[in-house]
Amino acid sequence: MRIEERRYTKADHFRATGYVLKTMKVTFKGAIRATKNRPCTILYPWEKLLYPDNFRGRPGIVLERCIGCARCAKECPNQCIEMVTIELPDKGKVKRPQVNLGRCMMCGNCAEACPTNAMIVTPEFELCSYSRGGLIFDPVKLQHPHKAGYEVNYSFALLSEMNAGGEIKTYAKNDNSVHDTIVLDGAKCISCSRCAKTCPTGAIEMVETGEVNPKTKKPIKQPKFDNTKCVVCEQCVDVCPKSALSVKEVL
Amino acid sequence: MPSDEMWINMGPQHPFNHGLWNLRVKLKGETITQAEPIIGYLHRGWEKMVENRTYSQIVPLADRLCYGSSLSWNHLYCLTAEKLFGIEAPERAKYIRVAVLELQRITSHLTWLMAVGTDLGSYTIMTWSIRERELFLDLLCKLSGARMTYNYCRIGGVRNDFPENYERDVNRTLDEFERRLRDLESLMDENEPFLMRTVGIGKMDGKTAMNLGLTGPIMRASGVDMDLRRLDPYEVYEDMKFEICTHTDGDVYARYRVRMDEMRESMKIVRQAMAEAPSGPIRVKAPRCPPKGNAVCHVEDPRGESLMYMVSDGTERPYRLKVRSPNFVNLSASPPMLLGFKISDVPAIMGVMDMCIGETDR
Repeated sequence: MRIEERRYTKADHFRATGYVLKTMKVTFKGAIRATKNRPCTILYPWEKLLYPDNFRGRPGIVLERCIGCARCAKECPNQCIEMVTIELPDKGKVKRPQVNLGRCMMCGNCAEACPTNAMIVTPEFELCSYSRGGLIFDPVKLQHPHKAGYEVNYSFALLSEMNAGGEIKTYAKNDNSVHDTIVLDGAKCISCSRCAKTCPTGAIEMVETGEVNPKTKKPIKQPKFDNTKCVVCEQCVDVCPKSALSVKEVL
Repeated sequence: MPSDEMWINMGPQHPFNHGLWNLRVKLKGETITQAEPIIGYLHRGWEKMVENRTYSQIVPLADRLCYGSSLSWNHLYCLTAEKLFGIEAPERAKYIRVAVLELQRITSHLTWLMAVGTDLGSYTIMTWSIRERELFLDLLCKLSGARMTYNYCRIGGVRNDFPENYERDVNRTLDEFERRLRDLESLMDENEPFLMRTVGIGKMDGKTAMNLGLTGPIMRASGVDMDLRRLDPYEVYEDMKFEICTHTDGDVYARYRVRMDEMRESMKIVRQAMAEAPSGPIRVKAPRCPPKGNAVCHVEDPRGESLMYMVSDGTERPYRLKVRSPNFVNLSASPPMLLGFKISDVPAIMGVMDMCIGETDR
């Protein structure tokens, strides 16, 4: 249906109030408003727009919190995050994310995926550099003073609980009680313990199954997962030579 | 070829076309006798690119289809993915989405108005509409953290809830914008040169528009009552009270009027959705891999009917993602719209179409 009929007629053309005085009214209104108020434009390099706390600029990192799980590198749509080895005074040689800001599109997905909120979204957006190398921020350069509100938190509900009816609980991003779990296919496991070595949180422990290897007469060990420590970074799934590990999703 | 006929390339770099595309027109004197739009200058291979991304990674990439209305593309992708995954967003997320989508529609229409203003030679229209657009950009920035590419919808809900005092801010902005929209309209409706360049130009009746497959405000300006928000309601549009704006004239002026009226209707929807939003969760956890199958979904973009078709082979990346852009269809109808008019009418006819090459070429 047609909402508002407004049609230009030839009569308006000859009416002085129609196209002279009315337009002058608009002009003067604008002129008065422009003199009374401050201009809408700003002198950019000296004056900046106010941005809210959650403004999405370049990603930053709080190195003390980072555990090197590489979830940010997996989640990045532009593949601009790479895990590089750095030397930290208290932890020795560790892998930490390095961001190529020349490719980064500031989507904030890395901060959303981070299980420890080490990856943060900073409001820094002036990132010019004279060389492409200057845009590659290594973990040390990527650090940014932390402020509450820079982390990306979200809450979610589970579909199974919503379909079941009743009270719907919402869970925080890294709620340990509901997150996905890694499951082991014991028949495929060769007890190489690579998963335990690669685990960034130490959630995997090699325990004896009680069986004994008939050739070497040594007890067989298989990984056991501590779900309160696990952050579902899936590095163990990737490293497993026999694809014995898989992710079981909580839905 | 007779000496009074000639081909003119309007583009790919031309002040009237927004984005990279070429309009070849054949002139006899000053009258257009043949027209041929040529696109493909901004082809980024988006559809192929997303076949190498996981489902959650495509969400920010869907923003980049059109910077003018990034949220509607973002939302369309999430809606299609939800259909494919077989999940549904919680009730509150649906209301939030509707409110935010309508804010995005106003922003998109103001961007269009800015472009039309410069096309038709009025810089005041441009500066004013850009100034008013800033109000909405601030609102959306406060909500999602970015001014243009929001990355706000997620598969199974939205990224975050409304910030503090958001409803108050939105209502204040809308009150202020309603006043300013009246001023903005008077710039065009009482402007003799603007009317001379728009009334009766680019006429197209409803039957031709339907046969050419036009969508969106251009279709509605020809008197066809077609709006997917009403015909195939998604989210919670069926609970919203709003009118579908149509006009009977089918000329450039009618298309301009339809968009201006649509902004008013969008404001109504935003207020309703903000007031009626129930409390509850805003996001459900989406599985990583969808079941095998396909899903198709269409929504009413600010420019018309946009559609996504997604095929999954059971892995964590889509097998195929097809995008149907409203502008691609509208652009193909430009020759019959242009024929018989003067070359100086081209900016008015094509400018009012709200060209966005990012989504047309993909």
